[in-house]
Amino acid sequence: MNDSSRTATPRDQQQNCPSKENRFAAIRAVTSFQLSRLMTRPRLAMGLAGAIFPAAVMFAVTRTAPIDRNMTVVMIYALIPEALCVLGLLVTMCPVVADELERGTWIHIAVRPDGRQSLLLGTFAAAVLWTGSVAFTALILTLLVAQPTQPVGLVVMFTILIGLSCIGRAALFALPAVILPKRALIASVGVALIVEYFAGLLPAVVNQITVSLRLRSLLVEWMEWRQELPIEMTLFVDDYSAPVQIIAVCILVFVLLATAGFILNHRQFPPSVEN
Amino acid sequence: MLSLQHVTKLYGTVIGVNDVSAELDQGAHGLLGPNGAGKTTLLGLITGQLRPTIGSVQVFGEAPFGNRRILARIGYCPAADITERNATPQEWVTYLMRLSGFDTAEAPRRAARALEEVGLGEACVRPLSTLSKGMRQRAKLAGAFAHEPDLLVLDEPFDGLDPIARHDLVNLVRRWAQTRSLLVASHLLHEVESLRANLAVILGGRLVANGSAAEIRELVDALPTTITFKTPSVNNLAQIVCAAGVVETLHISDVNTVAVGTRQVSHLTAVVAKAVHDGLVVSEVIAEDRTLEGIFSRLVKLHRGVEQ
Repeated sequence: MNDSSRTATPRDQQQNCPSKENRFAAIRAVTSFQLSRLMTRPRLAMGLAGAIFPAAVMFAVTRTAPIDRNMTVVMIYALIPEALCVLGLLVTMCPVVADELERGTWIHIAVRPDGRQSLLLGTFAAAVLWTGSVAFTALILTLLVAQPTQPVGLVVMFTILIGLSCIGRAALFALPAVILPKRALIASVGVALIVEYFAGLLPAVVNQITVSLRLRSLLVEWMEWRQELPIEMTLFVDDYSAPVQIIAVCILVFVLLATAGFILNHRQFPPSVEN
Repeated sequence: MLSLQHVTKLYGTVIGVNDVSAELDQGAHGLLGPNGAGKTTLLGLITGQLRPTIGSVQVFGEAPFGNRRILARIGYCPAADITERNATPQEWVTYLMRLSGFDTAEAPRRAARALEEVGLGEACVRPLSTLSKGMRQRAKLAGAFAHEPDLLVLDEPFDGLDPIARHDLVNLVRRWAQTRSLLVASHLLHEVESLRANLAVILGGRLVANGSAAEIRELVDALPTTITFKTPSVNNLAQIVCAAGVVETLHISDVNTVAVGTRQVSHLTAVVAKAVHDGLVVSEVIAEDRTLEGIFSRLVKLHRGVEQ
């Protein structure tokens, strides 16, 4: 803004308009900024508590009675990819817009060329990274407590399940977060209960669009439990191969994020200052 | 540069702005209006945060909503304070520059340069929560212009600042307005007047006046001016001025105060001067405020139907 500045030329304008490549820079910027927001003491304490909780439960159970490997796997699956990941993402993904509105930073972001999209995708990446890290730590701690046989195979399998759970649920929670920003947490809990845990367990076509069906099916596939499953339990898993399940989660993530992005791009928030 | 055609913005049944039409060329413009007049809504429409319910908004020839080419050419400094408390101004402005698409090398360079220009100095590495409002305001301003936009839009940029900070930022913004376009919304007229900007007055969501300060004065000059006299002989004075035929309105508010509305101020004062010469006692004459503040106040009254 010094005196030597001059009227913008088309070349300046071209320079000011970010290139497509720089959109990724903007997404990375949001990711690192959101991660720095998550590195506060309360959030770190929350993450630590989340990481310890499954191990504590496993410790309490194994002290009461020894459990076999299959039971250990079921418990880890229920505690980490299902419970811990969902809780972590409720905390990190739901406030994607609400936090910005509350902090008064939404306007600054909304007036940037790719601000809205970068906010959504950057927060998505930060939520997945933060929750995934907490869940992975929880997995290692829980396996240390449970000491199952062939732990390396379980680490690999659960790491993939945690990753899929995180991206799938983060994308799912992005929708209520952009549609109902101020009620995002309640709406997301509703979505988690209704879509993931109710519709996901319905033996109907609707469960095909849930992440929980894909994760259960992958667990059954990789643990080679399919043959041992009681006939009534086969209703709650899918017959497709593991790559198909993973592709299905990726498609679901893409569709959910694209929809959330479209909605966010068209959202208008009345200026609170005057209204 | 900016074209508003019958722009109306509704929030459900609440009117944000109502049928606003204006053409603003490049240069400095002030948007004046009291709190709740619709200024921020209008700026929201111009900066692409909102879409008009009716009508069209064009900035540099295109609709700004969702238009990344246009958004890249606009810098916006909102009225609300930054509550991103943990970040430093350097981190915050760098973040905004990266959101504007600048790479990891260019973004901090631009941020540092802008923060230096707003005079934050060493404070730019302290968390925003430890800075005064004036310093946060400077950081906000730096974030708005660090990407060198062609149009800088400022919403109440000097609100709540101490006189020194206000003086510094007015000078800064005035320098900007010499080379690029500027739109400043404020309810404080002297701030906009100090920027030597063209004026648009908005009230109740409507644009009630538009032009240079001189043009708006001319507009107001065509309206009756109210002059208030304090005299123990209220009835006598009322009789004299009515008889002279210069009165548009006359209001006796108490036993010694009479307010006379007229379009012929010099004639009225001559009549009253003669009456005083003839023995009428007038203890005080209060002419209506002719500063921009006074003009604004009159436009507000006019809009509210207080003046006819």
